[in-house]
Amino acid sequence: MHALIIDDSRAMRLILRRIMVELGFGATEAANGQEALDLLQVGLHPDLCLVDWNMPVMDGYDFVTEVRKVREWRDITLMMVTTESEHAQIVRALAAGAHEYVIKPFTADAIRDKLELLGLAQDGAFA
Amino acid sequence: MNAEQALVAASPKPADVRMLTEEVWASFLAEHGPLQVGTDPDFAPDWSASVTVKGEWNGVVALEMSTSGAQQLTRSMLALDSAAELVDGDLVDAIGEMVNMIGGNVKSLVRGPCRLSLPLVTAGRFLHGSAQREVVRLGCTWAREPLAITVHAGRPTPRETR
Repeated sequence: MHALIIDDSRAMRLILRRIMVELGFGATEAANGQEALDLLQVGLHPDLCLVDWNMPVMDGYDFVTEVRKVREWRDITLMMVTTESEHAQIVRALAAGAHEYVIKPFTADAIRDKLELLGLAQDGAFA
Repeated sequence: MNAEQALVAASPKPADVRMLTEEVWASFLAEHGPLQVGTDPDFAPDWSASVTVKGEWNGVVALEMSTSGAQQLTRSMLALDSAAELVDGDLVDAIGEMVNMIGGNVKSLVRGPCRLSLPLVTAGRFLHGSAQREVVRLGCTWAREPLAITVHAGRPTPRETR
């Protein structure tokens, strides 16, 4: 399993990478939606994208919208990990094609629980 | 209720800001002990990070820290040991992300749709606009370093108060 972590904060990418590696995932990082799209376009095909909302260049909402336009990427699970907690924003992201939503601050357990809901938790990880 | 009172009434309350700030700290920085709220915030910060909230409610959320506190926060978030060298960009990233999380949660405390800006991190004290009023100030200590979290609400313009 491989995760693409998309966040403009290096610190946040590192925190998420630690969690994902503990959960048995490989991880690649991108600093904004455009960088992430570029990675997908050159052939990276992650099982999961963890997507921040507020980022420079291309935000998380636009990234989700762009990914959902491409048939070959429809099997990629998209999970927003963001401080955006307004109900209307959550609904907007889910309508655009995000599968799940985690609000910062989060715990490793919260991420694991969401992955279990999505059927992406790996046996034995985080025991 | 006059315009000033209405502004304060519509703004986040100190107890709520305290609770969410403690939650942000506990989620990512617990190994250096809890955030102690209620200490003297009157210190000369070396760094300030802020995010702007715009919409039905307008304001700015700021985090002020000493260099030593910002370094500890950065090392903790990046999982670096105390000997690891840091550059200013590391500190800017880490304290920017902290104020982003605090500001994003403050935004959830106010009514109506609002937008959150990207973080702005500068050297020295946070400078607020003259049309803004401080509605929350939390003086804190973490890892034996002082820090402050403030919320400034946008004052009504003269046109709005007529």
